[in-house]
Amino acid sequence: MRFVPNITTDVIANIQQSNQSVATALQQVSTGQRVNVPSDDPAAAAADLQLQAQSANIDQYTSNAESVLSQAQSADAVISSVVSLLNQAVTMGTEGANEVNNPSNRASIATDVQGILSSVVGLANTNYQGVSLFGGSATGQAFTADASSPTGYTYNGNNAINQVQVGSSVTVQANIPGNTVFDSPSGSVLGALSGLATALNTGTSAQIATATQAVTTALDYVSQQHTVYNSTVSQLTNQESFLAQDKVSISSNENALVGVDMATAEETLSQAEISNTATLTASAKVLQNSLLNYLPN
Amino acid sequence: MTSLSSSLAIASQSLMAEQAEISVTNNNIANASTTGYSREQVELEESPNNGVDITGITSVQDELLNIQIQQQTSQQSSANAQVNALTQVEDLFPSTGTSLSSSLSTFFTSLTALSANPSNTASRETVISNAQTLVQQFNSISSGLTGPASALNTDVTTDVAQINQLSSEAASLNQQIVQQQSAGQPTATFTDQLNQLETQLAGLTNISITHTADGDTISTGNGTPLVLGSESYALQTNTDASGNTQVLDASGNNITTAITGGDLGGTIQVRDNDIPALQTSLDTLANQFATAFNSAQASGYDANGNPGAALFTVSSTVAGSAATISLTTTDPTAIAASSVAGSDASGSNGNVANLTAVQNAALPAGQSATGLASNLVYQVGSLTSTATAASSAASLSLTSLSNQQSSVSGVSIDQETANLLQYQQAYEAAAKVVSTISTLMTTLMNMIPSGS
Repeated sequence: MRFVPNITTDVIANIQQSNQSVATALQQVSTGQRVNVPSDDPAAAAADLQLQAQSANIDQYTSNAESVLSQAQSADAVISSVVSLLNQAVTMGTEGANEVNNPSNRASIATDVQGILSSVVGLANTNYQGVSLFGGSATGQAFTADASSPTGYTYNGNNAINQVQVGSSVTVQANIPGNTVFDSPSGSVLGALSGLATALNTGTSAQIATATQAVTTALDYVSQQHTVYNSTVSQLTNQESFLAQDKVSISSNENALVGVDMATAEETLSQAEISNTATLTASAKVLQNSLLNYLPN
Repeated sequence: MTSLSSSLAIASQSLMAEQAEISVTNNNIANASTTGYSREQVELEESPNNGVDITGITSVQDELLNIQIQQQTSQQSSANAQVNALTQVEDLFPSTGTSLSSSLSTFFTSLTALSANPSNTASRETVISNAQTLVQQFNSISSGLTGPASALNTDVTTDVAQINQLSSEAASLNQQIVQQQSAGQPTATFTDQLNQLETQLAGLTNISITHTADGDTISTGNGTPLVLGSESYALQTNTDASGNTQVLDASGNNITTAITGGDLGGTIQVRDNDIPALQTSLDTLANQFATAFNSAQASGYDANGNPGAALFTVSSTVAGSAATISLTTTDPTAIAASSVAGSDASGSNGNVANLTAVQNAALPAGQSATGLASNLVYQVGSLTSTATAASSAASLSLTSLSNQQSSVSGVSIDQETANLLQYQQAYEAAAKVVSTISTLMTTLMNMIPSGS
């Protein structure tokens, strides 16, 4: 084969190729990404988008979990307060049942019990960031005063229990409806307290003792509701740490898919630069060569 | 029997031969950077009665290489046209920032947030505004896909005009070559030009060439003639029902699908196959996602306790879904998060799980919404990277073929300079012979006594 006389095209192609390598290597180092547009690696780009969606969901699940966790903790604190109020009521009932007390003493104890009842209703109406903690799915006050009701209060909420999404297939119970906590057939707090107040006002010692017993039953029942919230809290704590781990593993998957290993990328960049310099130097030399340079004028 | 005058004749032949060599060398140097020029050389032979004869001036080229170069040019132009068009399309699917996938994902995470606090108006407004962003993404990507399609129609028209121009030039070159041949004149200049025209034509469309006594016959597509001898046949264009420019042969038959190579072929490939495929995927996603979400809405109740109404308006046919998808309402209470009817609905999150399930549940197309959206990115990425790979492969092969062609036909200034020195010396030597013979003649003449 005859030599190739016009090497300019070849030289230009080489320079372009070399510049392209430098540009690619530089882009990878500066963005830290191997895939910058879908055509760099279509399969990895598509898989990365799915991971991004998963990662965004995990962020939202985490934020849901944090929000439900505070909600459950407030509800649990409400239950604790109710329990301590009921303990006071039991003490008062026991005192009221004592034969030593005269009716006027009992009436003043009854007023105290009535006070405890309204405090309990106040607690039952607790709002957490606009959400009624014990209203089921209803918004607004869970219990309002109602003279026609035997307890003196009526429940405005419903039985709805919200299961909050904190994982792609994990939900936790976020609330207990107010009628379950405060007005359950197995231990109505409101019923027991208003019964005790009535007994203190009008009943005999025996009736007061029975009413006090009912308050104790309600106390036991409410205490049990702690477990529901405790279980929610522990589920959430576990789920939060799981989500954190999942997030880490997704990030590392993403990085493996579309990221570059910095050490390798920088190595590639410096190699590309060296090779670019060599190409340019060689081109400058070779393009100058001509027989005309060596002929006498 | 040699004589002084026969030697003089040989010397003058020699002078002419060297002049011809110098003239051809001069022409080679002048055309050293002319595209498509093949170096020429003078063919010499010893004449029967001694001396030198010029038998002709030939152009040095390799026909097989020319054909290969034309084929590769066709492929490279086609791939380049595809890369140019698809790179624009690829910009519609960024891998960072706001994209269809990210809007879809953000929409669903805002719904998941409703799970924790269904009655929160701000959270509901976020869902509506994210739904709005998602709908806008569908609309703008759909119109973004239509944009290149109309630019590609302009390319088709321009390409056809260029093809017709080159065809008529080729036809007139055919005529000139035939005339030169019949007059016994050299045709190298015209052949080079014709060759160059044919390579340009190959860059525009797929062509096949047959050499005949009337010049080159050039045809495109499935044998549609462009040039027959001194006649050229102009392609025509018209616009079909869907607004796409179609390519017709001289008698009006539609040959659009037969065009497979060159800029025209690549343009048609992107316009008629690649973009419609992406558009269909996008429409399918928009249609099936909206339908699935609307039916998830219907299984719950809005914040006012009314049965969930459709959130997206989408056309009943798949085609055009992405372009026309819109929100039915901007009212944040319309999100059917609740599973409880009536006045207590606003605090219930019972239907949120059904709404968020649309993200990862398989749609009728077989994949989830997220899957379809990322598949769309795969589709566009794969089309672009395939075209890019084809372009660089063709480019490498073309460089190597051009090198081979240059090796055969290219002009080397060094070689021509060296030749020039050689011819100069030969010319000087022949001139020396002439002057020597002249001196001998004078000597001879002086031997004759004068005045006798």
